[in-house]
Amino acid sequence: MKISYNWLKDYCKHGLSVEKLAESLTNAGLVVDTVSPVEDDFCLEVEVTSNRPDCLGFIGVAREVATIVRGKLDIPDVGYDTMDENINDITSVTVEDNELCRRYTARIIKDVKIGPSPGWLQKKISSIGLRPVNNIVDITNYVLMESGQPLHAFDFNKLSESRIVVRRAKKAETMEAIDGSKCTLTDDMLVIADFQKPVAIAGIMGGKDTEVSDTTRNILLESAFFDPRSVRRVSRKLGLVSDSSYRFERRVDPECVDWASRRATKMILEIAGGQAVEGVIDQNYLEDKKVCVTLKMSHLNRLLGLQIEKDTAKDILGHLQFSINSETEDGFSVDVPSFRGDVYREIDLIEEVARIHGYDKIPIKSNIGVKLTQDNQFDKITEKTKNVISGLGFNEVITDSIVGDSQNRHGTLWSETSSLKILNPIRQDEDLLRKALVHNLLRVKKHNQNYGVEKTDIYELSKVYLPKEDDQLPEEKECLCLLGEEGYLALKGVIETILNHLNIADSLESTHFNFGLFCPEKSAELRLGDSVLGFIGELSKEVISDYGFRSKPCVAELDFNILIDKTNLESSYRKIPSFPVVTRDLAVVTDEDVTWADIKRCIESLKIDYVDDIEFFDVYRGKQIERGRKSIAFRITFRADDKTLKSDEVDILKEKILTNLSNSLGVNLRA
Amino acid sequence: MQERLSEIKNQAKDDLTKAGSIEEVETIKTRYLGRKGGVITEIIKTIPGLPPEQRSSTGKSANILKNEIGKWIEEKKDGFNTSADGSFSLPLPRLKGEIFDVTLPGEHKPYGRKHPLTQTIDEIKGIFKKLCFDIEYGPEVEHEYYNFDALNIPADHPSREDFDTFYLGNKRLLRSQTSTVQIRVMEKKKPPIRMIAPGKVFRPDTVDARHASMFHQIEGLMVDEGVSFSDLKYVLTLFAQSYFGQDIKMRFRPSFFPFTEPSAEIDISCSLCKGKGCSVCSQSGWVEVLGAGMVDPNVFDTVGYDSEKYTGFAFGMGVERLTMLKYGIDNIRLFFENDLRFLSQF
Ligand SMILES: [Zn+2]
Repeated sequence: MKISYNWLKDYCKHGLSVEKLAESLTNAGLVVDTVSPVEDDFCLEVEVTSNRPDCLGFIGVAREVATIVRGKLDIPDVGYDTMDENINDITSVTVEDNELCRRYTARIIKDVKIGPSPGWLQKKISSIGLRPVNNIVDITNYVLMESGQPLHAFDFNKLSESRIVVRRAKKAETMEAIDGSKCTLTDDMLVIADFQKPVAIAGIMGGKDTEVSDTTRNILLESAFFDPRSVRRVSRKLGLVSDSSYRFERRVDPECVDWASRRATKMILEIAGGQAVEGVIDQNYLEDKKVCVTLKMSHLNRLLGLQIEKDTAKDILGHLQFSINSETEDGFSVDVPSFRGDVYREIDLIEEVARIHGYDKIPIKSNIGVKLTQDNQFDKITEKTKNVISGLGFNEVITDSIVGDSQNRHGTLWSETSSLKILNPIRQDEDLLRKALVHNLLRVKKHNQNYGVEKTDIYELSKVYLPKEDDQLPEEKECLCLLGEEGYLALKGVIETILNHLNIADSLESTHFNFGLFCPEKSAELRLGDSVLGFIGELSKEVISDYGFRSKPCVAELDFNILIDKTNLESSYRKIPSFPVVTRDLAVVTDEDVTWADIKRCIESLKIDYVDDIEFFDVYRGKQIERGRKSIAFRITFRADDKTLKSDEVDILKEKILTNLSNSLGVNLRA
Repeated sequence: MQERLSEIKNQAKDDLTKAGSIEEVETIKTRYLGRKGGVITEIIKTIPGLPPEQRSSTGKSANILKNEIGKWIEEKKDGFNTSADGSFSLPLPRLKGEIFDVTLPGEHKPYGRKHPLTQTIDEIKGIFKKLCFDIEYGPEVEHEYYNFDALNIPADHPSREDFDTFYLGNKRLLRSQTSTVQIRVMEKKKPPIRMIAPGKVFRPDTVDARHASMFHQIEGLMVDEGVSFSDLKYVLTLFAQSYFGQDIKMRFRPSFFPFTEPSAEIDISCSLCKGKGCSVCSQSGWVEVLGAGMVDPNVFDTVGYDSEKYTGFAFGMGVERLTMLKYGIDNIRLFFENDLRFLSQF
């Protein structure tokens, strides 16, 4: 809302400089965004919150100023003389829908002289950015800005059968608005019509046919209360916004409807001449409800944490035009003025007193003391995980949960059910909630590659959204996705390091896994015990060429909830062994289909206490090994807790292991 | 066997690098080259037993390795004799007259970083943990009830409209504020409550330098008997001073939120221009950092708290906004493009 510094003084002689005025309004809750000089005046851009439509007019803002300075509010006089002819003899108003039109008033002024407004009026409305049109239009705009009540003047002679019908539009009815836009109306829109056709879209804009022009002589002046929701809906639907619709949407003051009409009539008589027809047509369907609220000072002072005297509170509310109707030791009751629909409870009065008294007067003090806080397991494990991954050189990324259909191009990971769809997306091609993170990481990789960053070791820990039946909320699965540039084994190593740091007892098992995103050879499903932890794989050739990658990234996506379930944060100290270890390095030759996991499991199955560790070295295929077979080298570490193992003791165990490998897997020591 | 040799080579290199004294170097010498049981010595002994075609190549390699390890051992010992700390790096073939250039840049291991937004959230969590606030989370896909109804947002409130909230049908939506978590926590727990809830929120805003359709908020809530507006000012002043610095100025001004009353917006003095006015603060000298207020009694009624007995305050802040202010970042999109040249600055 734009406010002229000079114009505002018409309603309150506040004596504040423009800087001080801006500061005072801001501190009372009407934020002044900018102050711009306009000739010998200033224009203040005031932000009015949606609960305060009463401040969408100069008088409302002046009321705040008068309260702040505890000064007087000057409201203009609206008395005027009329001719003998009565309005009911020359026109009528029929309100067909009194849900959407809660009050409609009409006045008629005859024999006006249309012309430019006087200089003072032009200057005033120009100071807040309005363009002068002619005296009648300028006056309706002036009163709109002064009171916050929108008005509309029709050329009375152009109304068919000289009467007004307030009704819903008929299907496919059209109207050309004052701004030239041609509106096609629907039957959920309220219009002001004459006998034949719509002459205004209620509360939003008047029609071109009946607007006041140079030839206009008689005027029908409308002042009304339209249903806020309806005005907002129609305004959005037609894409038409006006100073009127802005105010009707936020609810105008029911009692100001008639006042503004009188005020405009008086000004028209003074400026454009003519004569007012006696009387007013006033179709009023608003309930006349008086709201009375009681304020207890003990409540106020307890909630705010200060000490305000009752007289101060009474003074503030009195200036805001709440009238005190009864009083007790600890408080008083007030009648709420009609323009303050936002006030109906004690707490609302407390707010009024607090904001005028000043938030800065509320002390910054507390005795909240200490309190035991809860441990948040999720946070602890998340932090630990992120620290480990960062330590291994990976950067965390955060990507958008809303994705396009391309996420399913190479198959889906966690769920086959189709993704949750946003009904009102910003972009039609991005309207799904992601079911996996991996595709987003590939896009990040692509973005970085485009900007010359070749090595992209990254990870994200965020939610994916797996739909459930019907109207249920989806499962929000917390997933950890990694993208590494060093291949399958390196990325698996990262995962193993995480498991190790989270002290997870289950060993990680990998089985071949076919998935569209991965190259068939180097990809696996990862399991911890009975649970699927996730998936890992180097990207397939198709995906690499699809994205145009110059490297061969490996990606893994893990179910973070499984990690949380399996994490053991209570680790205990293990004694450092006091007896030395004995190691045996072995190289064995096997068929291609025997895996390292097979060999390890075979050794472990013997349950030899002294086997402390089995460490993989490498796989060798080549000259000295026959085709179709491979050599696997590894080290077994033997250790006892209570003695130094002897070399021949260990050799016996080694033989036992080799025999078992040979018998179960056909694995033999390399010659 | 070749792999085994290269394994031994690496191991020896490693052992020597770690060795901290002449004594240790001697032990290593025995381990690898000792006449009895030395690793290399033993391998050389097995050569005659190898298949004929392997003998000569293995023999050659083993001898080369033996000499190499011998040379390293001597160099390492020299190192102890000539430099006090025994610094020693392998393999660094040195020529006579060569001078080590100490001004060469250090070698770097990669070190990853947490996302700047994560870092901001972590820092803010840290501050509130010191004030005994719990950390809570809630779902990102929500029922309309938690995002609006329970928060005293009337059915015709503009924020419910299509261009302010993403809808998924069947009264489900992507939460447009983390205030939803307040309700979920109060439904589960009785006062006293002190909590903050960080998380993602979604709004179909026009995407520009300051607006993204997904961003992060941190919601806070404190409820107990006798919690007052003074407590609100106290807690949020402590927070702002911890996060932005002791010397900032603060301004609490009245505002409006449906779920708090009285409501406030909190500005801090613009750190860029020191309050004189600049483009970051739109010339006002102030930047808005927090929304807050006393919990509206209607909200307490909805979750079944006795609003005669309990009072409380709630607050919320935008993580992107705070991060942008702190580092002078001018485009919110940078957070979600994840350009490593950006991420690696934090
Ligand atoms: Zn500034």
